[in-house]
Amino acid sequence: MSPSEPAEAVTLTIDGKEVTVPPGTLIIRAAEQLGIEIPRFCDHPLLEPIGACRQCYVEVEGQRKLFTSCTTTVAQGMAVHSQNTSEEARTAQVANLEFLLLNHPLDCPICDRGGECPLQDQALEFGPGESRYREPKRVFAKPLPLSPLVALDRERCVLCARCTRFCDQISGDRFIELFARGAGEQVAIAAGEDFRSPFSGNTIQICPVGALTATPYRFVARPFDLSTVDTVCSHCSAGCNVRLDMRRGEIVRVLARDNRDVNDAWTCDKGRFAFRFADGGDRLTTPLIRERGLEPASFAEVLGRVAEWSRGRRVAFLTGGRLMDEDYFALSKLARTVFGTNDLDHRRNFHGGMAEETEAAAAMRVTYQDVERAGAILLVDLDAEQEVPILHLRIRKAAARGADVFVIHPRRTRLWDVAEHVACRPGQEASVLEEVLEGSDRGSPLARIRAALRQAATSAVVLAGAGLAEHPLGPDLALRLAGKFGARFAMVPRRAGDRGALRAGVHPTLLPGGRRLSVDAERAEVEAVWGSLPNTSAGRNTRQILEACAGRQLDVLVMVGVDPLRDFPDAALALRALDNVPYKVVQALDLGNLRPFADAALPAAASMEKDGHLTDWEGRAQRIRPIRPPAGLSRPDWEIFGTLALAMGGDLGFETLDRLRQEMAGLLEPREPAERSTAWVDTDRPQWLDDLTLFTYPLLVDEGRLSQGATELKAALEEEPFLEVHPDDAEKRKVVDGGLARVRTDAGEVVLPVRVTEGVAQGAMFVPFNQPGLAANTLLSGRFTAAATVEPADPGDGA
Amino acid sequence: MSQDLRILTAWWGEPGTVWITRYIQTGGYKGLRKALTMTPQEVIDEVKASGLRGRGGAGFPTGVKWSFVPQDTGKPTYLVANFDESEPGTYNNRELVERDPHQFLEGVIIASYAVQCHTAFIYTRGEFLFPGRVLERAIAEAHDAGFLGKDILKSGYQLDLVLHRGAGAYICGEETALLSSLEGYRGQPRLRPPFPAVEGLYASPTAINNVETLCNVPHILVNGAKWFAGIGTEKSPGTKIFSVSGKVNLPGNFEAPMGTPARVVIEEMAGGILDGKRLKAWTPGGSSTPFLTEEHLDVGLDFESIAEAGSLLGTGALMVTDERDCMVRVCQRLLQFYAHESCGKCTPCREGTWWVTRMLARVEEGFGRPEDLPLLGEIGDNILFKAFCALADGAVSPITSTLKYFRDEYEEHIRLGLCPFTEPRAQRLRAVGEPPPEPSEPEPAPIPLSEILR
Amino acid sequence: MPVLSAELRADAERILARYPDGRERSAIMPLLYLVQSVEGRVTREGLKEVADLLGLKTAEVEAVASFYTMLRLRPTGRYVVSVCTNLACALRGATEVYAKAREVLGPGSEDVTEDGSFTLHEEECLGACDAAPVVQVNFANYDRTTPEGIVALIDALGRGEPPAPSRGAFPGEFTKASRILAGLEPETGR
Repeated sequence: MSPSEPAEAVTLTIDGKEVTVPPGTLIIRAAEQLGIEIPRFCDHPLLEPIGACRQCYVEVEGQRKLFTSCTTTVAQGMAVHSQNTSEEARTAQVANLEFLLLNHPLDCPICDRGGECPLQDQALEFGPGESRYREPKRVFAKPLPLSPLVALDRERCVLCARCTRFCDQISGDRFIELFARGAGEQVAIAAGEDFRSPFSGNTIQICPVGALTATPYRFVARPFDLSTVDTVCSHCSAGCNVRLDMRRGEIVRVLARDNRDVNDAWTCDKGRFAFRFADGGDRLTTPLIRERGLEPASFAEVLGRVAEWSRGRRVAFLTGGRLMDEDYFALSKLARTVFGTNDLDHRRNFHGGMAEETEAAAAMRVTYQDVERAGAILLVDLDAEQEVPILHLRIRKAAARGADVFVIHPRRTRLWDVAEHVACRPGQEASVLEEVLEGSDRGSPLARIRAALRQAATSAVVLAGAGLAEHPLGPDLALRLAGKFGARFAMVPRRAGDRGALRAGVHPTLLPGGRRLSVDAERAEVEAVWGSLPNTSAGRNTRQILEACAGRQLDVLVMVGVDPLRDFPDAALALRALDNVPYKVVQALDLGNLRPFADAALPAAASMEKDGHLTDWEGRAQRIRPIRPPAGLSRPDWEIFGTLALAMGGDLGFETLDRLRQEMAGLLEPREPAERSTAWVDTDRPQWLDDLTLFTYPLLVDEGRLSQGATELKAALEEEPFLEVHPDDAEKRKVVDGGLARVRTDAGEVVLPVRVTEGVAQGAMFVPFNQPGLAANTLLSGRFTAAATVEPADPGDGA
Repeated sequence: MSQDLRILTAWWGEPGTVWITRYIQTGGYKGLRKALTMTPQEVIDEVKASGLRGRGGAGFPTGVKWSFVPQDTGKPTYLVANFDESEPGTYNNRELVERDPHQFLEGVIIASYAVQCHTAFIYTRGEFLFPGRVLERAIAEAHDAGFLGKDILKSGYQLDLVLHRGAGAYICGEETALLSSLEGYRGQPRLRPPFPAVEGLYASPTAINNVETLCNVPHILVNGAKWFAGIGTEKSPGTKIFSVSGKVNLPGNFEAPMGTPARVVIEEMAGGILDGKRLKAWTPGGSSTPFLTEEHLDVGLDFESIAEAGSLLGTGALMVTDERDCMVRVCQRLLQFYAHESCGKCTPCREGTWWVTRMLARVEEGFGRPEDLPLLGEIGDNILFKAFCALADGAVSPITSTLKYFRDEYEEHIRLGLCPFTEPRAQRLRAVGEPPPEPSEPEPAPIPLSEILR
Repeated sequence: MPVLSAELRADAERILARYPDGRERSAIMPLLYLVQSVEGRVTREGLKEVADLLGLKTAEVEAVASFYTMLRLRPTGRYVVSVCTNLACALRGATEVYAKAREVLGPGSEDVTEDGSFTLHEEECLGACDAAPVVQVNFANYDRTTPEGIVALIDALGRGEPPAPSRGAFPGEFTKASRILAGLEPETGR
């Protein structure tokens, strides 16, 4: 049936109960709607049906043979009997279970799956108590490590092919496959290869037995040992719904929860395996104040001192996109109403125009569902797999459903097999976008983008990554491009709190809800709630704040969950700022690099210790819940802000989270921003001469704060530092693949192993932002791109 | 009824049968010439009217199968000749190709024309190295003579023929597994629907036909549907080539009209039982069809009569055992085959054939227990119609039919604690129900493939 | 050293060209025969090269290679001796033929004999049941074999004097047979 004609719904009965479902629905899904659970192993609602395990047999009246309900679609008037009302179906299911258990090692007492295993559950429910199998069992060497994260036990495997189908159909990372045949059939990986997919953990979660286990969780806990909470992942802006499992106060496991509006049923390996970041030995558990050294003190004492330093002085606030919505709302209000400053920012760097941000702060512009149903998708400067992995999976899903996908990026991204890539030298995105927008050529990749966007019209989606904001014209141009074709547009921020911070107005010129500070009417809406703002002139952005600190134009710098030395794309400027600003207040999980600089330290609660919301890249606010109380004396950031306000003689008015939420809800209700001109002045376009353009962004698994302690994850997926160069550039500069090269910029130099690859644009060089032993911001001067030279280096030069 | 009617095998044994010159001299490629003067639909109608049924085992009407191939999908259509002949006991396709390859090619070309296909594939069993070489030569000859390639016989019709060799997997005879294999995947069967006619090779409309089936097509075109329908029985028209093997004096392929009694084929054509012994059991259509016995020798070899007798015509492969043969051993060896060839995809086949193979080996060696027999029957029931494809159903045939007709042999094994057909008899006598000794060396583990190359 | 030389890469291109555009994956089996024709088996490097030719992951190729019995992933002799022991042949004495071959070639010959000459393979039905018991050497048929016959056959092969098969010419060593199976030595007639 063609999708355009609305199809007649189908009515059938299952176990005598009537249900009406769309045509094409599988019996097993229709049964679920009635609350009838038909046992299954291979079936998974997000994978193509395979009919391999044969567990889900049902009887259909008038049919001679039984049907597998996971492969049979409903028909009008069909009368289905599950194991509940069909002796024959039940017998077949019991028999099949017996087959599955023949060669099963029955080692439930030492299996991680024990207690939450579909095979065990079904064997208990209706399996025979004793096996009739008298022959020797099949044996395999075990466990077989597929990667530092995933271990395989082939004896427990029921060959349902969920894991291999996930890799084939969902992630496209076909590292594991079924090898051999018959009773020798087994899940396997090619000799000498690792299961190097950032989605590998999903295969463990969907394994219906204990065949795939997670190295960090092996032999760690029993289901009844665990306390759990349903929450949202805080590693990036994807907003994955997850469940945290805790044993004796330590997080031991993260599982993805189903949410078709957000993450389907998946999460990435970082979200799944980087869960020890709040359990480090250097965790701040008490406020500290610098006397002779940093010494413990009470909150009252430390906040009193901070208030003392700040009163009547010039204070600025920096934060890094890792807090929750409530924290940011409180910070926005604190800075503006109590400290009277607009010098606050959450962005590492931003050179773009305003229009896009005001849009993004106002409402949800693009959703996962829009992406899934898109006819065409254009990604600009977004490496979705590395930046927002679950969005990457959704784009792949859209491509599988027929969407035309295009990527304009300086690197070839992991969408290479489903998307057309346009290699774009960093800094030239605007001209490429202009060409898409205004060009008239035919047959070129850009013309294909134009044609696909035009054809998909309102079902088209344009998504841009943070890299586009490097260019002053980039974001607004992309917005205009989308507007021209009727497409939806969103900037996709990287961190879990980025969108929440923007919406809350942790921004030098935007107030909550994207209201402009400079526009009286919009400001008035905020003042109606907060009272009149003492300061209405535009504040400084992150770079300007650091410059002001370095130039001794600020007295107090409050850093909340941010490390400018590592996060800001100019390590030297960040250091000058810290050296020169008189008072440095750090509010974070730990002091890290800032330990020598902090004059006061305020211990913050970690995400798994807080109640609140995180707003994902879509603009969807989702509830996060605590699984344990804050460590030591640490407190949620919003509470610390409230107390600091009191110490300053002000009052945020939030005694409780509920009060805060009420006020926040009023100001952050989705709104339509007023018509704005997206005209721009073409300034500040970088001009590259003979140099190459160095660009960088953080990879998914790196030395980032939240990956601390995730040793297995790093062993599996973290790369050593490297430099990517295009073959033509490599040849001209005599650097060779596998050799070493010295990269030099105005800010610094570094020696790195070289990868010569056509996967990077000509004229561009890529280094990852934050790998072991490499802080790429030492090469940068305020942008994530820099003019650079490259030359061969000797091994003796060291990396 | 004439038992001497030879259509497909008419030129077997004559000199030079493999060459195109001989084939053309004896009337070859006339069917193709005729077909090209007709519309594809007329060709399909003619084959439909002939009543020709697939010779690969299922017996589906060939013309009807072709008529299911849609022509309005905007995709190319494909024809795949299934020359993956692997059913134990079956070898008529091989001989048809080895002895008269152009008869087969002509059938392929006519069928391709009927379904309007321009790229056809012959999926050849890998072990058939020599028949594959015969085909390579014949295809080259047919190209040179203008029966293949562009503008065949100036009709404007174009056809390329690709010879594709398998690599050793019985399951690839199953048509969806064959398609998986031809597409470069593991030869595992696929879900139906969609049926290959609609979404087959490369998700395009595809007709898949057996070699013997296609060999009949030129003759139908030349002699007409009515002529063909007049041979054999009403519902199973035409001749069938019966492959006779095992304990007969003259094993070989014998062409006879459908419905010819088994007695005629076994006793007259194949020369009767070896050494004057008594027939014990025979398969009508390869190892996947239930054994029949002496009492069924007068059943006609056609789809309906054999089904009525409780078995299946299958590929028409008669494997014959005599009174000296141990049917437990026979059943065990066949199950070993199915376990070896199970693709592994679905549980009942993968695990069930593994189980029965091991259990039967134990029983045959004299370590059976009384409870093994009812269990064996039950396992058979639990496999039958429960697996993904028909391979497992085929594996059940020897189990249920030997249990039905030769239960006493199983009971003897268990009662005596040894195989009554193996000399010397006394060696392994032991008490009934005594557990088998621990195997002296542990069962060798299946090779963990991923470690082989490490 | 790559498995496929420049010349063999040209062969690979010919194989790929047999299949419709965009359906090159269909060439996976002949390509595996091609790499098998170089080293007498499919090695890890061979798998990887086929994967690269087809734009697949190595695991996808090994998944296919390990499914089919004629693609050998383990060390293999110059002569692969396959003895059918399925029913029709067993009824005619194939079990004894196989046992004899195993006795002559020694334990471990299911992999490869120590001198690298032979691989013994217990085979399923080879579709020549009128000639039972059937033996194939590098896929050339020897009809109606006896225990004495297989000993003579093995001896002759050991001397490098393969007797003429029952039909067709002897295809040569296993590497050569694999090349034929890749369709690269087509019979063109006359």
